[in-house]
Amino acid sequence: MLKKPCGTFDETYEKDTSLIRTPFRWTMLILFFVIMFFVFPFVADNYFLDVANNIGITVIAVVGLQILTGYTGLISLGHAAFMAVGAYTSSMLSAHLGWPVWVTMPLAMASSGLLGLLVAIPALRIRGFYIAVSTIAFHYIIIWLILHGGDLTMGTSGLTANEIAVGDFVFDNEFKMYYLIMAINIIIIFFACNMIRTKFGRAMIAVRDNDLAAEFMGINVFRTKILAFFISSICAGIAGVLLAHYQGLIILEQFTLMDSIWMLGMLIIGGPTIIGAIFGAIFLRVLAQIVLFMAPAIGDVFPAFSGSAVGAFTLIFFGVVIILFLVYEPRGMAHRWQIILSTFRLWPFKTPLG
Amino acid sequence: MTFFLQMMVVGLMVGAVYALMAMAVVVIYKSSSIFNFAHGSLVALSAFLMWSLIVEFGLPLAAALPIYVITLFLIGFLIQRLIIQPLTGQPHLAAIIATIALGDVFSGFIILMWPSPGRILPSIVPSSTFNLSGVVMSSESLVNFLISGLAFVAFFIFFQKTKIGLAMRGTAEDHALAQSEGINVSWIFVVSWVVAIYMAAIGGILMSSLYGVNLDPLHGLGMKSLAVVILGGLESITGAIIAGMIIGLAESIGAGYLDPYVGGGLNDVIPFLIILIVLIIRPYGLFGYERIERM
Repeated sequence: MLKKPCGTFDETYEKDTSLIRTPFRWTMLILFFVIMFFVFPFVADNYFLDVANNIGITVIAVVGLQILTGYTGLISLGHAAFMAVGAYTSSMLSAHLGWPVWVTMPLAMASSGLLGLLVAIPALRIRGFYIAVSTIAFHYIIIWLILHGGDLTMGTSGLTANEIAVGDFVFDNEFKMYYLIMAINIIIIFFACNMIRTKFGRAMIAVRDNDLAAEFMGINVFRTKILAFFISSICAGIAGVLLAHYQGLIILEQFTLMDSIWMLGMLIIGGPTIIGAIFGAIFLRVLAQIVLFMAPAIGDVFPAFSGSAVGAFTLIFFGVVIILFLVYEPRGMAHRWQIILSTFRLWPFKTPLG
Repeated sequence: MTFFLQMMVVGLMVGAVYALMAMAVVVIYKSSSIFNFAHGSLVALSAFLMWSLIVEFGLPLAAALPIYVITLFLIGFLIQRLIIQPLTGQPHLAAIIATIALGDVFSGFIILMWPSPGRILPSIVPSSTFNLSGVVMSSESLVNFLISGLAFVAFFIFFQKTKIGLAMRGTAEDHALAQSEGINVSWIFVVSWVVAIYMAAIGGILMSSLYGVNLDPLHGLGMKSLAVVILGGLESITGAIIAGMIIGLAESIGAGYLDPYVGGGLNDVIPFLIILIVLIIRPYGLFGYERIERM
């Protein structure tokens, strides 16, 4: 990931530890931020802003899942439930007690984080596939609890969530939410990119690659796993809070096992880095929008492809995309990107990757 | 007491079918250490295929069965050769995620092909209820129980006596050793998928006599066989049978006594609660191979 172009040397410690290495990358990043904050929101209409907001929320959750699955090697199929816990905690506090969101959000983060700790307890004795199973079990139990929560969670009918407000300033439209979501995104991505380079982050990678060897190296494997679950579920909680207060109404159908599977699919498509997770999330979400956009046109040509068939078609489509990526490019789009880069760098010679 | 007996009978009848469906997962896991998350969708798909053949095309059972058997064989063959085989050598988790994605594909296919709900398979026996001193049994669940029992015996003979069944067990023990004995291991993988799909199909058809041919309940039943497999131990067919009964009993008795207090739907979570308890106390299940892992 941190490969440098030819001729770039680290002369100082600051250069060696910096996230962004070259002036070219700095230019690209600043250009990207300018487009993201000063061009796109003024050019795009509400529909595109809405799509961008949903992508942003997904990216937060998927980056959290990447820390857990990509870096620590623990597969979680309960991430939708973590999101649900964050969303419902925050909405319940704001709907029943009338607390402002900047108070409920830390509480929601805490509750989903605590749930993450709880889910991690079976990880004391199990690994790999069994952890995936235990997260599935937690998913069903949490969803059942929410469904039978009575007036607290409003079960099947859905719970209204207030708009996010700081003082008199209310985030009441897509435009304002766009800035909020993107700002939180940048904070979380910056945090995640740095965290995986710390001692703790390297411990997570060691646990993923060989937990027995990691234990011998003096890494507390159990603590690492539990903290990975904690951080990951906090990210999911933030995503849930944003989703709830952005939409103003949360229903249980937004947090299905399928959503967790989708997030895993995004990781597979993106590749095993934080940037890969972001690309994967954007790729799948944009693809979903294209399918939604195309659906009426397809429905006109083939009457069979209308109504509920759109959902079914999306399911098949994504299942096939995930399987194809697993079979043909298990290292994801991040690897493809490296191939493209090195192809340009080494031209006219062939790239050794690939 | 009658209530308890009633719940026990219901639990055992359902548990037998759970056990059959869970065996399907165990067969695949034993041969290739891949946990088949597409199981729920396969259960549903097989029931829908049967419905199409019998009701939609109106074929007699004698004509429908050969077509059905061949179709299921092709499905198993294609899954193994197109998806699982290319993933050999990658981490097992990759194959597991592939089966999850495969489950999505099948679910989507079912929604696409059979959109509206409300299908029922014609039952083999006339629907009636028996009353044994207060304990009520419906003829459907009794037939389910008997057919699952027959299927157990059939699969038991298959694994104990037939050459290919023995080859499958040999492959489960050691791939290289089996290969050196002249067993075509890659073909055994195909066979285990096909056998698993047949088991799933029997379970799906039996269960659709109780729940109708609908995606969600059948898919949910497939997910419950997860609990059965975890409780019984991933490598053990005996474990699957016993755990199936235990889960069926726990579900019906627990739901029967506690449902009035919590507002219903308990039988959907009890299997998952059992998963958690088993994973914390005894992760390898009742009959699985015990691996010592200290963290």
